[in-house]
Amino acid sequence: MKTRSALIFGYNEFALEIANNVAHKYENITIFKLDDETKEKESEKYSVASFDLSDDWNTLESRFDMENSVIFCALLDDATNIFLTISLRASFESVSIISLAKDKESANKLTMAGASKVIPIVQTTASIISDMLKKPIVTEVLHNILYEKSNLKIAQVHVEQDTFFGGQHPYEIDWKNKYGIIVLFIVHEDMNSEFIYSSKASHHGIKNGDKLVVVGYEEEIKLFEQNVGSRYE
Amino acid sequence: MISRFVLDVAYFLNTSKNYQNTKHFFYNLLENNNYRYKKYFDALMIMLVFISVTILIREVKSHVNDFLLYFNNYIISIIFFIEYMLRLWVSSSVSEVLIKRDEHDSMLGEPLKLTKVFLKILQIKFKYISSPRAIIDLLAIIPFFHELRFLRIFMLFRVFKLFRYIRSFQTFSSVLASKKFEFFTLLMFASIVIFVSSVLIYVMEANNPKSSINTLYDALYWSVVTISTVGYGDITPITDGGRFIAMVVITAGIAVLAFSTSLVVSAFSEKLDEIKEIKTVDDITKLKSFYLICGYEDVAAEVAKSLSKEHKVIILDEDPARVLRATKDGFVALEYDPGSVESYKKLRIDIASQVKAILCLRESDVENVYTTLTVRSFNKDVYILSLLMHDIHRNKLSIAGVNEILYAKELVGMIAKEFIGKPVAFEVIHALRSDYSQINIEEVVISERMLRNFSRIDELDNVKYRVVLLGIYKKVHKQFFFNPMPNTLLEQGDYLLLIGNSVFIKEFEKYLHKKSAG
Repeated sequence: MKTRSALIFGYNEFALEIANNVAHKYENITIFKLDDETKEKESEKYSVASFDLSDDWNTLESRFDMENSVIFCALLDDATNIFLTISLRASFESVSIISLAKDKESANKLTMAGASKVIPIVQTTASIISDMLKKPIVTEVLHNILYEKSNLKIAQVHVEQDTFFGGQHPYEIDWKNKYGIIVLFIVHEDMNSEFIYSSKASHHGIKNGDKLVVVGYEEEIKLFEQNVGSRYE
Repeated sequence: MISRFVLDVAYFLNTSKNYQNTKHFFYNLLENNNYRYKKYFDALMIMLVFISVTILIREVKSHVNDFLLYFNNYIISIIFFIEYMLRLWVSSSVSEVLIKRDEHDSMLGEPLKLTKVFLKILQIKFKYISSPRAIIDLLAIIPFFHELRFLRIFMLFRVFKLFRYIRSFQTFSSVLASKKFEFFTLLMFASIVIFVSSVLIYVMEANNPKSSINTLYDALYWSVVTISTVGYGDITPITDGGRFIAMVVITAGIAVLAFSTSLVVSAFSEKLDEIKEIKTVDDITKLKSFYLICGYEDVAAEVAKSLSKEHKVIILDEDPARVLRATKDGFVALEYDPGSVESYKKLRIDIASQVKAILCLRESDVENVYTTLTVRSFNKDVYILSLLMHDIHRNKLSIAGVNEILYAKELVGMIAKEFIGKPVAFEVIHALRSDYSQINIEEVVISERMLRNFSRIDELDNVKYRVVLLGIYKKVHKQFFFNPMPNTLLEQGDYLLLIGNSVFIKEFEKYLHKKSAG
């Protein structure tokens, strides 16, 4: 039976960290090991398969539900990672591919190769470090919200009952006092996201299909979801 | 009896705080190039030297106002004399010599021999007095005895005093001093050539009535002018023998000139790195606050780039290639081993007051642990952030004393989790963090000024400024309060976390200050 899987290419500490973090979302986690990759300790938690860059990737479709799966390209060598990304994109047009890059230069190439999201390791690490030093409080709060280390959550709420807002503009609503949440952004159906207090956003009302990016405590968010629709995840 | 009294005075001076502080102050003012006020003192002395020399020049052909002469002969001379005595005082400690000798003698069970101690003291002080700098200082005071007109020429020694106050001269002389032996050899060679050629030209030319070389002094003058390749032409050899000697001297002169030029150049090129390093360290010592990055690899390069937009960043790395890279990237970098206490001593910085944070960014856990332990061995409080390369070493970094550990692999894992879970929210947070989007999240610290007019959250008109108040970080509780109650009290040191257009946030911040000012 085809399973919703996270396919992680690369057998290294990055791959294992990714596997540990996404395991709860997927029925199956498979780590693909390039022939020359060695890791001191074999992973006991996840199934490990070998691969070669010349493999026929279409065979994956027989084992995994590729429509609902996600691919992580986490090889340590950027050139190989780019080649792998472009090979996988050639075989699967719509699958989500998240690739790791050492630096920005490789990140651009990975985007060109068809990666849906690229994580430039050096830049990401460096920007977190400088954020920690420049804005320690902001970084800690955002970190806790984003990585769910506190009760505070950030969520995307899908609006399905726009009548609830009675045609009001987002900046007119007293979110804090009425619902105990803070709405930061509205993502319109055309995928343009706008900060709710920016001058452009003020011309848009809230419509069905919009997504609201909200920050708040879980209970308040849940209550708010019940009012406007279901939580989008 | 006398020795007991002398010793008592020595011990008293050595333990007297006032005496030691005063001596330390004068030492700093006169000798410590890193002392903040030394440059003002030096500037004053340079000014006095120039005034003195200007008066001397003016006096040659014109009458100089009596007050100026008085000022030059007495006041400036007295100031220089006081300076000379102070330098003599701070050059060594008499009381310490006495105490050391007393300890030495009592250990051997002998009474203190005053004569021996005084001889030792005289020897130490004489060593200072006979140093070239002290001699120049002394000669610069001599014009004080202005009645002896021939002593006036010593006024020019005041110009030499400039060497003491202008550091470039000191650097120059120290560079040349490194080639002492070569310069001595060159001087010997030139002296021998001058001596031999003077004698020869005198022998060849002195008896010729047409020749202008009549005395040995003329011959010496001609030799020096010729060997220096200046060749005025006022004295020229006319005999065949004299001309032959001239050709030899001219050739030797070119060699001497070329040799001395190359000596100066090679001395400078050899010392260039050292001179640059001294300059860099001096500049660092003067910085009020900066981040110290230990190790310059890929992550460090990015962090330095980001931090340097608003702060000063100094890089230490023991690898010349990495230091070169940092320098090429436009940063102040020193080839010092961050894992050695000696490096920090050489830097002459006060870590507690000057360093905002130390970042151990080598991509090696071993190096980062080592650097952290080195820093912790002499400073317990400075904030240290370190990269972690392998999770297995996390506790080692903690034990070493790192305040914040950053593990890139864990970060990537969490980003992956967020991205597959809440892609939009993830992008929003990313956009808030990034400097490129117009919408930012900023932290504003509550100052005493703000508190004069705002005491509660609901008094802040943030909505009017289109700024979202995400929450408040209470300093007392060390905790962040999301969406705080309207009646939450503001306290000094609390942080407001604001989200909005960066321009609006700035406006709002200005308003918080302005209103309190009004």
